[in-house]
Amino acid sequence: MIEPQGCDNLEKTIETKNLSYAYRSGTDKEVRALRDVNMNVFKGEILAITGQNGSGKSTLARHFNGLLTPTGGEVLVKGLSTNDKNNIGTIRKIVGMVFQNPDNQLVSSVVEEDIAFGPENLGLPQAEIIDRVNWALHTLKLEDLRRESPHSLSAGQKQQVAIAGVLAMKPECIILDEPTAHLDPRGRREVLESAIRLNREEGITMVLLTHFMNEVIYCNRMIVMDGGTIKMEGTPKEVFHQGVKESQTIKDMGLDFPVASQLAAGLQEEGFTVSPDIIHNEELINNLCQLKS
Amino acid sequence: MSIEVLNLSHSYKIGTPFEHKVLHDVSFSIADGQFVGLIGPTRSGKTTLAQYLNALYIPRKGKVLIDGENTADRRADLVTIRHRVGYVFQNPEYQLFAPTVGEDIAFGPTNQNLPREEIDKLVKNAMEMVGLDYETFKTRDIFALSGGQKRRAAIAGVLACRPKVLVLDDITAGLDPRGREEIMDVVKSLHQQQNITILFISNSMDDVALLAERLLVMDNGKIIMDGPTREVFARTEELRAIGLELPEVSIIVDRLRSAGFQLPAGILTVDEAISEIAAFLKDKEAREQWS
Amino acid sequence: MELTKNITLGVYLPGETRVHRLDPRTKIIGAFILIVLLLLARSYAAYGMVTLFIAFLVFISGIPPGYALRGLKPMLPVLLLMWIFQLFLHQSPDTAVLFRWWIFEATEAGLHMGNLIILRVLFLFTVTTLLTLTTSVVSLTDGLENLLKPLRSLGLPSHELVMTLVIALRFVLILAEELEKIMKAQMARGVAFDRGNFIQKTRKIFPVFLPLFIGAFKRAEELIVAMDARSYTGGKGRTKMKTLHMGRVDLAAALIMLFFTGLMIYVIVTYEPFI
Repeated sequence: MIEPQGCDNLEKTIETKNLSYAYRSGTDKEVRALRDVNMNVFKGEILAITGQNGSGKSTLARHFNGLLTPTGGEVLVKGLSTNDKNNIGTIRKIVGMVFQNPDNQLVSSVVEEDIAFGPENLGLPQAEIIDRVNWALHTLKLEDLRRESPHSLSAGQKQQVAIAGVLAMKPECIILDEPTAHLDPRGRREVLESAIRLNREEGITMVLLTHFMNEVIYCNRMIVMDGGTIKMEGTPKEVFHQGVKESQTIKDMGLDFPVASQLAAGLQEEGFTVSPDIIHNEELINNLCQLKS
Repeated sequence: MSIEVLNLSHSYKIGTPFEHKVLHDVSFSIADGQFVGLIGPTRSGKTTLAQYLNALYIPRKGKVLIDGENTADRRADLVTIRHRVGYVFQNPEYQLFAPTVGEDIAFGPTNQNLPREEIDKLVKNAMEMVGLDYETFKTRDIFALSGGQKRRAAIAGVLACRPKVLVLDDITAGLDPRGREEIMDVVKSLHQQQNITILFISNSMDDVALLAERLLVMDNGKIIMDGPTREVFARTEELRAIGLELPEVSIIVDRLRSAGFQLPAGILTVDEAISEIAAFLKDKEAREQWS
Repeated sequence: MELTKNITLGVYLPGETRVHRLDPRTKIIGAFILIVLLLLARSYAAYGMVTLFIAFLVFISGIPPGYALRGLKPMLPVLLLMWIFQLFLHQSPDTAVLFRWWIFEATEAGLHMGNLIILRVLFLFTVTTLLTLTTSVVSLTDGLENLLKPLRSLGLPSHELVMTLVIALRFVLILAEELEKIMKAQMARGVAFDRGNFIQKTRKIFPVFLPLFIGAFKRAEELIVAMDARSYTGGKGRTKMKTLHMGRVDLAAALIMLFFTGLMIYVIVTYEPFI
């Protein structure tokens, strides 16, 4: 397992040990979704989990807050095992989750009331609930929309409300399960910016499940899943670079390279001296400008 | 088969306190065989507009002509129009209902009351077009399919009606890169080999840049841009002002041009970018050698 | 085709009118009393009074009257059927026969019973809709829960019941949305829902029915998972952001309600029931 660079410490917020999960376990229709997965989520990082549909990434993510419990092995959240039912309450305070479809996550007909749903469930005193709701609205820049009905918001705004609702629970870690899948370019950008800001400014650990390579490159580390196991792991640079070397690997696992990497690889083939591990647009542009002058 | 939209306006929830206008005096036309992309921020009216093209909505204000036939005409055969203009919805896998894949795909042609052998032939062709092997999948339970396969089955269900025009509404949403590539290949072959006219609605600028020859850009119920794809994507600031973006490649090329790279406008694909940048750099090298 | 337009039950229309600002408990109790009075009313005079009162409520709540009635549209066919049933099939000794049709007799008692049933359904629906139009989901939940609290000591899971009710209400709109989506998808494949005889039309329901159920269940499941993820474990230990407190508006409402109840009781007692 590879450890992240640039993190304060190597404290593990989430840890899986030989995690296996099978749907309809024990029947003849059993489907092995996860096979012996060992991985960590380190405190303070943004971790990307990628993999084609059916690779098991969503199943894995749902183990992080105890929505699913292992059929084999164990998942520890700050040392607490999800196998023990008594831990689930505490675990869900530590790990929050945002889902793909904003319409099916929001409970109330007023934005600020929906954000209060989580803190209310935690049994917090009224004054604190109000504080947290205000803070969440402010952090996600939703103050103007606080008394609106979610029904009248755009999909991107609804997703921001969903994130605010999770944020108000002050979790240490937020899992985002393909949060931008149904959004327009602006919505995607806003959600990604929010995720990065929450990590950098509030210190919240983020786990981002996504198919968009231009989101992955902003993560400290990434994991590539395929067939229920982890096939690749490392910083985005390391993973994509390895993918380039082994040519087809990334594509075999149903993924793609960031456009900057594709351009870099192509220009290298044309004989130019381009750094082989480029993943960001910035890097490519700087590199090419150097070649120009 | 041509499509003409004239001065079309549409309001939702008319007569309720939630009434709001989603289309404002929209006019455009699509010629036979074109591949037109339709982009715009969410809630700009794209889906509503598209649903006028297969007569799911009939105009109250304005006109929609499908191959010259006015959809608002009382004598118009809407069912036939809906076979000629196929529509694939967002997340189409949710409309599957029959016990087996074959039966579900046969639903459309069955509604046309065609003879059994013809239906079977249409189903087989449709499945082949989307890359689902007929023998393997025709008796398979729809719930036993993967997400990507279900989506392809849903698309086949529309193709089995032999449409001349296809409206594809955000059909790559939620797919992984390989799934997207597969679907885009299917769409490409439908356009190039089957000569089907395509209206491609999408939130992915990259997808649209790949295949669309012409782009319609909507914002707040109006078409604000209509032109060749390259030209539309050259209007960077305007697109960004309404919340859209360029294809990733174009963003990079745009930045390079600001940094002094003399690259032609309207580069949309990775391959084009590579050859143009390479050409520019080699050119520069050559000129520097001479001076 | 726009099915969701006519769904008013479970929809919240934000506003700042006095009715909106009332404590939800006032509104719930008020609605309850109104419904009881409705069920006691059996004269046309009494129904006339109720109509006037409801018109008054619609007016001060800022809900456009046309919109308040819109939700009735989907029910009209069923109501008509019920009325016809009563007209011809209601059994009552010595009542005048109005006319005959084939083997059926339309009786006066049947006419009145039909009217009674329809009036009750219409008003019940309107009162409930008015309630949901002017009260947000959370307010409704809070209000109902608060009122049912005394029953908790008897073992009634008041919070869970209320939550179930409220989400069921939300799902009226969600089901309509799903139905519209699926009907459009099947229409796009050539199903003409408006053509065909009764049997043919009934057969057309199947391609809609299954995906509708699956779609609705899927949405429900996603909602439950999302609620779970936000630590929802039922009512135990739950607190509230908003406290309910009654104000002057509620006092005024209580007085108005009291006055109306008195008036209604007088009318009910004085006037002959038509059935």
